[in-house]
Amino acid sequence: MTTPEKTPEQEIKAAAADATPAAHTTAFYPPLRLAQAYVPPQRYGRTYSPAEALEKGTLFPELYSPYPY
Amino acid sequence: MDSRRLQLLHDIMALEFVAIELTLYLDTHPTEQEPLNDYNLVTERLNQLKAQYERMYGPLVSYGFSPSEYPWRWIEDPWPWEIQF
Repeated sequence: MTTPEKTPEQEIKAAAADATPAAHTTAFYPPLRLAQAYVPPQRYGRTYSPAEALEKGTLFPELYSPYPY
Repeated sequence: MDSRRLQLLHDIMALEFVAIELTLYLDTHPTEQEPLNDYNLVTERLNQLKAQYERMYGPLVSYGFSPSEYPWRWIEDPWPWEIQF
């Protein structure tokens, strides 16, 4: 007897049902991986002039991001 | 504060900021030659400017960073918040 095809939601529910809460979580969570950060390596290229860097708050054009306000 | 002194102070501040930025970059890219050369150029230029400023207007930083001529003028210099940048 083949078990009926499970939808993804059912699979998560099933996994959640028998999965005991992991040590680091206080509340009950579905079995999710913790965040994994990825920072692309910065390349040394064009830089602002000293006066402009002081004004803009960074030496590197690729890091300059003023908040639109 | 005359404009020449203000301009010199501004240049020193700008170069110090560039030195900080390059230090942070080199912390994560210690093997790159080009930023290292730039860092050395900036520090050399910065020290020249500081020496020039201190010859003309007195010490920039007290507490043993640089000698002061007579009379003691540290208390006479404008406080940072008194300077209109």
